[in-house]
Amino acid sequence: MTAEPRLRSARSAPVQPGAEPDRGIWRRPAFWIVIAVVLTGAVQMSLIAVRFAKAYPIALITATALFALLAVPFWFIVSELDFLEREPPPLLVLAFTWGALVATAVSIPGSAALDDLMAKLGSPHLAADWGAALAAPTVEEIAKALGVVAIVLVARAQVNSVLDGVVYGAMVGLGFQIIEDIVYAMGAVALAGRGDQVEPVVTTFLLRGLLSGVWSHTLFGALAGAGIGYLVVRADRTPRNRLGVAMLGVLGAWASHVLWNSPLLRDGLGNGAVALLAVLMLKGLPPLLLIWLLVRSAHDREADYYTAQLATLDDPELVTAAELEALRSGSRRASARWHARVRAGLRARAAVRRLQRAQARLAVEISRGTPDLSRRCQEVRRHRRMLVKLGHPEAVVPAGKGPWRRTASAAFSTALAIAVLWAAVSTLGGG
Amino acid sequence: MGMGGVTRRQRSNLLGAVSLVAALAGLAFGLPALNHALPSDRPVPTDRPYKIGGGVTVVPPPGSRIDVTETRPADDSGTVLFRLGPVRYLVSVQPYDGTLPAAVARLRQRITGTSGYQVTGTELTVATASGLAGIQGGYSGPGRGGRYAVFVADGRTIEVTVCGDDLDLGRTLPAIDASTGTLRYAPERAG
Repeated sequence: MTAEPRLRSARSAPVQPGAEPDRGIWRRPAFWIVIAVVLTGAVQMSLIAVRFAKAYPIALITATALFALLAVPFWFIVSELDFLEREPPPLLVLAFTWGALVATAVSIPGSAALDDLMAKLGSPHLAADWGAALAAPTVEEIAKALGVVAIVLVARAQVNSVLDGVVYGAMVGLGFQIIEDIVYAMGAVALAGRGDQVEPVVTTFLLRGLLSGVWSHTLFGALAGAGIGYLVVRADRTPRNRLGVAMLGVLGAWASHVLWNSPLLRDGLGNGAVALLAVLMLKGLPPLLLIWLLVRSAHDREADYYTAQLATLDDPELVTAAELEALRSGSRRASARWHARVRAGLRARAAVRRLQRAQARLAVEISRGTPDLSRRCQEVRRHRRMLVKLGHPEAVVPAGKGPWRRTASAAFSTALAIAVLWAAVSTLGGG
Repeated sequence: MGMGGVTRRQRSNLLGAVSLVAALAGLAFGLPALNHALPSDRPVPTDRPYKIGGGVTVVPPPGSRIDVTETRPADDSGTVLFRLGPVRYLVSVQPYDGTLPAAVARLRQRITGTSGYQVTGTELTVATASGLAGIQGGYSGPGRGGRYAVFVADGRTIEVTVCGDDLDLGRTLPAIDASTGTLRYAPERAG
């Protein structure tokens, strides 16, 4: 059985399977240079942290704890984006670290200098109105995009689809977002002039973490990462085309950031929580929708490619036709897990997840042309046996709209998110 | 083809990494260097009120120049930095809903929060020609001294900080005091 020629992945060839990360990475000069750059950034940011720790120790601990907690769901979502071909954790950590230590260390003096240049070459009025909207996005988006370039230089083989670029870009953005938020929180403590108080930290957390967190650097970084991912994997296109798309990705990230920081609608659409939420939506939703569509398209193309690899096995013990369908999208994979839980309990749900992961690992091995697949096949068969034992042998999506509990859970999560947003807006004086 | 154990791929990898570092250096050092190369002070008319922002104006002291890097006017707030030679005269307007003593305590805390800086002498009550009531005090830091004053007006706090070495301060403080006395809060009415 061969892959269909009209697959989306075949048309656009966005997936270039890479080799397993190995020690060859150490022989690359870029690896050592990137490590040196990260260490330099760590020293710079440590100096700032020490200054904060001496003046406001409790506030710093609170800010670090709150924003570290905020990073957990973001990390989980970003690392889950590429379920089928997961990125090596050390590279995800490197991307996060670049954003947290290098991009921030570079952006602090760079953005301040560009803001001053706007005042010098334009006027203080121009810098006051548009400094935050133009200077910060210009320096920060370049510094973050360089983080994805660093990942490409260190482990080119691990960036083998546009989605990989999205994941690494989002991780760089997440690292930047968390450290920037902590620095802002400490700035708020210093400005308040009431000593080592946590109240300004909590306000910053509500404002920057909850209200602005969703459409912040993680999103902008993902957009830039998509462009760089395209540049790397689309070897079939002309260099001009690839460079153009990469520039477009970085420009898109910059434009989204400019829109978010811009003084447009600064006075809002009136008073109250509804008006404030409306402004947040108007400024944040366009890039959020854009990246959502981009991720979905990139994910579906990659899923096409990897499920086509699995289909070549033609072995229902490894993967059935219905399971291939379930593997094609994140929502269908989740539906299959919910279905298992409803039919056979929590253990079956966990077993389906393990089976799906094992099938994804097997697909990646096939795509790499690994001659001996026995280890990966055994892994899949082991999870299959467990599912058979639990009375739910196939990880399929039920017919219809899926389990009602999952729909109810999604509705509850959405309602909870809106309630949290509303509470944050009201606490900050919007209500 | 490899040369001396270094492959072509390693050379291009090195070139890429060096370009990466160059781009970072451009952002971290190039932009600040360009910024420092350009002058930051501008002449400012000293015979009429200067709009700081947030509805507050002040007549700049004679001979002062404005530092555009620390001057940011806005609708509900604003900051202006005047320079009289080496002396800094900073006026900052921010939205505020507390009392005058609390505003003074906040500024004092910020001054003493900087390592080596402490408040000196006793605080005095001051007033501007337009009737704004405020509190004024002094502070000292490593190699320099300073003066601070805080006024509160209709949901705004106006903070004034002056710093320089003792000799320069002695020479310029009378003109700065006269300028501070011209602080006026006159919100522009809509429509």
